[in-house]
Amino acid sequence: MNKSNKWDDKEIAATGTAVIILGGLILYWLLQMESTLELLELAYGSVKLFNNPLVF
Amino acid sequence: MINEWLLQFGQWMEAQQYSQMLVAGYYSYSWLEATHVLSLMMCIGSLFIIDFRMLGLIMPNVPATTIAARLHKPMLIGFGIMFFTGALLVYAKPVETIQSLWFRIKMILLVLAFINAWIFNARMKAADGTWDMDPVAPKPLRVGAIISLVLWCGVVTMGRYIPYDWVDCTNTDNATILWAAGCVEQLRAL
Amino acid sequence: MLNSLLSRYTRTLSLVLVLLLVIVLELFEVRTSIYGVSLPFFEWMRQSFWLGVIGTTYGSLYATIEAVHLLSMAVIGGTVLAADLRLLGIIFRDIPSETLTQGTHKCFRISLTVSVATGIFCAAGVADKVYYMEVFWIKMLVLISGSCFVFFFKQPLLNSRPHDEINPWTLRLLAVTSLLIWFTVAATGRWIGFS
Repeated sequence: MNKSNKWDDKEIAATGTAVIILGGLILYWLLQMESTLELLELAYGSVKLFNNPLVF
Repeated sequence: MINEWLLQFGQWMEAQQYSQMLVAGYYSYSWLEATHVLSLMMCIGSLFIIDFRMLGLIMPNVPATTIAARLHKPMLIGFGIMFFTGALLVYAKPVETIQSLWFRIKMILLVLAFINAWIFNARMKAADGTWDMDPVAPKPLRVGAIISLVLWCGVVTMGRYIPYDWVDCTNTDNATILWAAGCVEQLRAL
Repeated sequence: MLNSLLSRYTRTLSLVLVLLLVIVLELFEVRTSIYGVSLPFFEWMRQSFWLGVIGTTYGSLYATIEAVHLLSMAVIGGTVLAADLRLLGIIFRDIPSETLTQGTHKCFRISLTVSVATGIFCAAGVADKVYYMEVFWIKMLVLISGSCFVFFFKQPLLNSRPHDEINPWTLRLLAVTSLLIWFTVAATGRWIGFS
C-alpha cells in the first residue's frame, strides 16, 4: 500500500458508496417522516402520536 | 385465585383511557412494537456476543471480561427500552396478554434468565484474572453462557408466539392449558 | 497511462461504472420491468412445497422460523454495534478497532446468512402479499446495496491497513452508514408485518 498517497482506490470507493447510500437512506427516512406527519394530520386534523378518543 | 386477580388487574388496565388510546392510535401500537423488537439488536445482540466470547466462538484474542464490561452498558440501555416498551405493550392489550400462555412462559423464562445472569456475574467476579486471556472461559461460566443463550432464545421465541391464537382461551378446551393461561371464565364453563 | 489508472483505481472505476449502469437502466425503465417479470417467481415461492406451503400449513413452524430470523437479526445488531460504535469511538476504546472489525466479521457473515435463509422462508409464506408492498422492495434494495457496501467496500478498506492511516472522517462515515443500513433493514422488515 502506498503510504504517501492517503486517498487510495479503496478509500475513495468506500467513501463514495457510503455517501451515496447514507444520502439515500437519510432521504428515505425524511420522506417517511413527512408522509407520516401528513397522514397523521389528515387523520386527526393535527399531528398527534396517538388517538385520544375524547378529543377526536 | 391468582388467575382471577390477574384478570381483574388486566380488566382494570383495559378500562383506562390511555390503554385504549395506545391501541386506537394510527401508528402508536406499531411504533411501540417496532421499538420493542428493534431494541433486541442492542440488548440481546450485546448479550449474545458476551456469551459467544465465553464459549470461545468470537474474538478469542480479546479478554473476556473486557468484552463483558464494555458491552454491559449497551445491553442495559437496550434492555431498558425493551422493558419500557414491553410494559406499554402489555398495558395496551392487558387482558389478551395476561391470558396468553406464551406471555406467561416468557415471563418465567425472563425471571430464570435474570437469576442465571446474577449467578453468572457473581462467578465472573469470583474467578478473576487467571483465565481472562484464555480463548474459552472456565466451565461454570461456559455453562452459564449456554443457559443464557437457551433462555433468551426461548424468550424471543415465546415473544414471537404471543400474537398467534393457537391456544387462546377461546380456541382450546384443555383444562391444563386453560389453567396455565389463566382463562378464568372458560375454565369455569368446563 | 490509461492502464496504470485502470489498475490503480479499479474499485473506484467499477463503482462509477455501476452507477452509470444504474442510471442507464433507470432511463430505460428496466427496474419497473424487472418488477413485473418477478411476479411468477413470487407465485412459485408461495406455491412451492418446501417454502410457501410448509410455511402456511404449519403455523408453529413458521413462527419458530420467524423467531430464528429475529435472533439472527439480534446477533447482526450486536456485531454491527460493537464494530461500528468502536469505529465511532463510543465503546471499546481500549481495544484496537482492527481487532473488533476482524473479530466480529465472521459472526456477522454467519448471522447474515442465517437471517437471509430464514427470511426467504418467511417471505415465501406471504409471497403473494409482500410482492405488492413498497416497504418490502425497499428492504430488499437496502439489504442488497448494504451487503455490497459491507463486503466490497467497507471491509476491504478496513482490512487493508491500520485504521490510524485512514482518514478519521472516512471511518466515521463508514460506521454511521453501516449502522443506518442495518437499522433500516430491520425497521422495514418489522413494517412488512404491519402493512
